[in-house]
Amino acid sequence: MPTIRIPTPLRQYAGDQSAVSVEGHTAGDALDRLAQSYPELRQHLFENGKLRSFVNIYLNEEDIRYLDGPETEVKEDDTLMIIPSIAGGCLLEDDPWNVKRVNGASITRR
Amino acid sequence: MLKVPAQLQKKIESHGAVSYPYEGCGLLLGQRNDGDNVVVGLYPVENRWEVEAERRVRFQITPEDMLQAELAAMRQDLDIVGIFHSHPDDRPIASPRDLAWATWPGYSYLITEVRGGQPGASRSWQLRPDRSGFLEEDIEIQ
Repeated sequence: MPTIRIPTPLRQYAGDQSAVSVEGHTAGDALDRLAQSYPELRQHLFENGKLRSFVNIYLNEEDIRYLDGPETEVKEDDTLMIIPSIAGGCLLEDDPWNVKRVNGASITRR
Repeated sequence: MLKVPAQLQKKIESHGAVSYPYEGCGLLLGQRNDGDNVVVGLYPVENRWEVEAERRVRFQITPEDMLQAELAAMRQDLDIVGIFHSHPDDRPIASPRDLAWATWPGYSYLITEVRGGQPGASRSWQLRPDRSGFLEEDIEIQ
């Protein structure tokens, strides 16, 4: 079975495991089965049935976008890695929505 | 809580200062211990935001850089426990952009204010489990 490496913050939703072996013939299939086994993972990986925009999947250190995407075939001893792209920045006056601090600490959409 | 050795906190502040007037960024390597993110190493990366002029207010870490950071962490038997970045001439508060592009709860988002090239306060944030906003967390500099 192919192995999926779980990034540190998601391990809390995957039984505290750093790697999980799942059935699956394609990368998309394997990820879907992972989310079936650990339902709390789903909202952090998928949005409206598709991988979240910041979620990138690497098959043996190669980005599946440059292979066959979710249809990329996976084999018995393959390793899939879930790699986020990260972005952010300062607060700008023309940011498209307002935010407010709650209890002096958090930021929430209004 | 985020625990950072004083010497690494200094390096984070210096990285923010040398990146000024642009945002500087990198990964926090360490271990998750009883719910705390304990930092033992840094993996600074280039701010890859495409439009150079916008790097004053935006940062980006590409998946390729993140993959290399993950592999480096694995080789040292460490994990990526968070992301550090600087806010040039702005408060170290997680912004709507940080929220819109936030990844997962559990990572510490450590933000350092840099005013006129001089590093100031750092504050750390974690995405709420329901992804609705950021919660500030305590920082312990050891």
